[in-house]
Amino acid sequence: MDKGLLAYLLIPLLSAVIIPFAAKNRPKLADILANVTLLAGLANLAWLALRPSIIRGEFADIPGDGLSLLLVAAIYLVAFCVTFFSAWFLDEHLPNRQAYYSLILVSVAAMCGVVTTTDFFTLYVFIEVLAVTSFALITTDESSGGIEGALKYFFLTFPASALIIVGIAVMMMSLGGLSFESLRIFMAADAPAGTVTFAAALMMLGFLIKAGVAPFHAWTPDAYQGAYAPVSAYLAGIVTKISGVYAIIKLATLLRFFDGRAQAVSEMVMFLGMFSIALGALAALKQTNFKRMLAFSSISQVGYIVLAAGLGTPLAIMGAVFHLLNHATFKTVLFLNSASVEKSAGTTDMDKLGGLEHSMPWTSWTSIVALLSTAGVPPLSGFWSKLLIILALWESGLKTYAVLALLFSIVTLAYFMMMQKKVFFGKKTAAAESSPEVSAPLLAPVVLMSALIVALGLLFPYFYTYVKMVAERIIL
Amino acid sequence: MDLPVKMLILAVAVPVLGAFLIPIAARVSTTARNAFAVLLGLFTFLAAASLFSTVLGGQTASWGLSFPRGFDLILHADLLSVFMASVSAFVSMIILIYSVDYISHYENQTEYYLMVVLFLGSMMGLVFSANLMWMYVFWEMTGFASWRLVGFFRSDRDVAKANKTILVTVFGALCMLIGIIIVYFDYGTLDLRMLHGQAISYAAAAFILVGILSKSATLPFSTWLPDAGVAPSTVTSLLHAAVLVKIGVYAYARIFGVTFAAPDAFSNAVLYIAGASALVSAGAALIDTDIKRIIAYSTISQLAFIFLGLASGNKTAFIGAILYILMHSVAKGGLFLCAGIIEQNAHTKDINKMGGLFSSMPVTGVAFALCSLSVMGIPPFGGFFSKFLVFSGAAQNGNLTVLLMFLAGAVMTLLYLVRLFYKIFLGEPAGHNNPKEGSFTMVASVMALALIGLALGALIYYPSAYAELLTNSLGVNLQ
Repeated sequence: MDKGLLAYLLIPLLSAVIIPFAAKNRPKLADILANVTLLAGLANLAWLALRPSIIRGEFADIPGDGLSLLLVAAIYLVAFCVTFFSAWFLDEHLPNRQAYYSLILVSVAAMCGVVTTTDFFTLYVFIEVLAVTSFALITTDESSGGIEGALKYFFLTFPASALIIVGIAVMMMSLGGLSFESLRIFMAADAPAGTVTFAAALMMLGFLIKAGVAPFHAWTPDAYQGAYAPVSAYLAGIVTKISGVYAIIKLATLLRFFDGRAQAVSEMVMFLGMFSIALGALAALKQTNFKRMLAFSSISQVGYIVLAAGLGTPLAIMGAVFHLLNHATFKTVLFLNSASVEKSAGTTDMDKLGGLEHSMPWTSWTSIVALLSTAGVPPLSGFWSKLLIILALWESGLKTYAVLALLFSIVTLAYFMMMQKKVFFGKKTAAAESSPEVSAPLLAPVVLMSALIVALGLLFPYFYTYVKMVAERIIL
Repeated sequence: MDLPVKMLILAVAVPVLGAFLIPIAARVSTTARNAFAVLLGLFTFLAAASLFSTVLGGQTASWGLSFPRGFDLILHADLLSVFMASVSAFVSMIILIYSVDYISHYENQTEYYLMVVLFLGSMMGLVFSANLMWMYVFWEMTGFASWRLVGFFRSDRDVAKANKTILVTVFGALCMLIGIIIVYFDYGTLDLRMLHGQAISYAAAAFILVGILSKSATLPFSTWLPDAGVAPSTVTSLLHAAVLVKIGVYAYARIFGVTFAAPDAFSNAVLYIAGASALVSAGAALIDTDIKRIIAYSTISQLAFIFLGLASGNKTAFIGAILYILMHSVAKGGLFLCAGIIEQNAHTKDINKMGGLFSSMPVTGVAFALCSLSVMGIPPFGGFFSKFLVFSGAAQNGNLTVLLMFLAGAVMTLLYLVRLFYKIFLGEPAGHNNPKEGSFTMVASVMALALIGLALGALIYYPSAYAELLTNSLGVNLQ
């Protein structure tokens, strides 16, 4: 456990315990407590990583491997945007408001646990905590869609947990330890890998299911569509990325994919990543529901991260980490915008929407920024991360993957253009007639995230220095 | 920092950043916004033109911003980039002035001005970039601006055509990015100044060519251009005649003309593609009945002539191509703006419903005729000299088939423009009530462009001396 970051785990946990008691008769207090906790964490993180002296020193003074810190920051950022949004989005008289915020804070704590832990068992425990809180969060929406999504999530990710625990058991038997370090040392030595690789492959499979990589993606569209809109932003933006994708990246570096160890696993992961990119993008073309399209887009974008993680070279890991963060920003914007559209027009069915750009200009423009970043249009941040991934693929001689990954950007752009056309442009439909722009507090998180997308794109050199530092530390 | 370097930075930074201040200016008043946009255009033109004295003195100006992995942002002013930047900025400025009246009764005006100025800024960035990666970045930015501009009228049909535009050009751009990555791994750098005179592999050249052809609307990627005619005429003029489509031509000149030595077989292939493009689109222009689609097809056809000049591989043709960029920007920009006046006042785009408009719109008619003559290549207009040089260069190259294809294309140019002029301005009026002439600024803009076309022909010595200097000092692998 990276002890320097323990506070980021414990404080939200503490708030989560306090909220049900303190806010028992004053539901608004739950909003305030959750937001203040997360905002304080963010301010602290900004001080830790963005002091001028740290930036001048090329981030060499950052403690730990740098990756944990970056991901903790991403977790806090997305969680803060979601709770801030929820505070104005949720119905005044929602009965389980306190429970909702407590669950979010517990899952923030669990995610911080996932990214700071240094052994597989603790990782497993935190991932299970995260799974249970996500399950409960999806059911916050008590309609049939919410329950269906939650059950699908539960049943389809349950086998993943089983695979992971079996993998852990096999690893315990063959390696004699569960710390990340022991696996790293084992893989660096020249011993025949055998059972250890098998154990790792089982875990990898579990994490691939949790990440919603095709062909194990069946639960994601239902879960995201069924959940409360801010919850789907939270799940798609960060939760599944931490519980699945982060673990894949971690495992990829520990297994030393970059020097050809465990090559079969590496090739499988890359293939599934590419498959995911293709399947997610093509399926998204067919969707008529805004949130469902975003879910498929998420599957496709996760494919890029998994493809890069499967390659595992330092450059690819940099691209993967960068894309993970970018995905958190642009997917949060798009999901929160879908929530705004739902609140304002009452539906997310794209065939019933249209002509919202005049009544909801901010929502329309932030969507454009986010979708261009997703499609990898320069100079936004998504372009640079995708470029790093493609350069890494090309450098390793995987030119077919590089070209395919690049050309699927055009499919990404195509379905988003269709979405923008149906929802925001065109003639006003009946649903759009009486749909005013949502209030400023609901726009604030979206605008913040969009600004971040632009800033990360323009300040790419700084961010590059940071992820380079991360890649050097976690791969050496 | 020297003055030229400052001017170089300002020519890119002012329109790119200034574009985002336009919504703020719009808060003040409509007039303030319009004036601000026109001023941004004027400033950009002056900043770009001020670099002429530097490059004519045999010097260049460069400025760099360091980015990781050799993706430095490098702005570089040399003879070619200053020429291209000045021409595009000048036509854009005229279009901005014309827009003030033309666009004044539509919705989304603030967005329109923002996107036009952003487009201009991206164009400046693209032209001055001496790093292929940043050329690509600005390339995509121009694509984004054109997406919003083509979809200016927001009916389903307009937006669908706008989506087609961006999807075709982005597909080309992604292919170009693959070519750029190949170059990056072959040479370890994307700095065009360091790549000067190197050989380029067929694969890289082919991928980059796909990007160029899609942006310049050349066969087989030409279909988006006539479709994009749904946009306001100012936009079609800006994007599809004077500036955007020239990006592809410029990139060809920049990458294969003055940087890499293109393989001979590759240049020959380009000649045949261009020849086919010239013929097919000229044929389409002969039968279409929508005024803007005809001019758009004509653009596709004329762009092929520029490719002919650039790919012929000798100095005469290259000089002709450079002049052609200038002459065609001015004349075709003028034609589209005339079409804008006609379309707005006659309330139709169908040439069969016009006829006899000369009596009611004499000034537009004269401007239209002058611009048409320049496009046809009739002496003493500027268009004659450029077309003549391109043909004489192509004849030196000695490829008879290609030469005949283009001669046929030139004859067809004559035919469809005469037909267009006759149908609109002469003949019997076909069911319209003598629409009135456009407003003063609009008519003045088109007349200015028409007269400049004439003046460029009379003073052809200066531009051709410039093009010759450019070709002699920068050209690679030209006979």
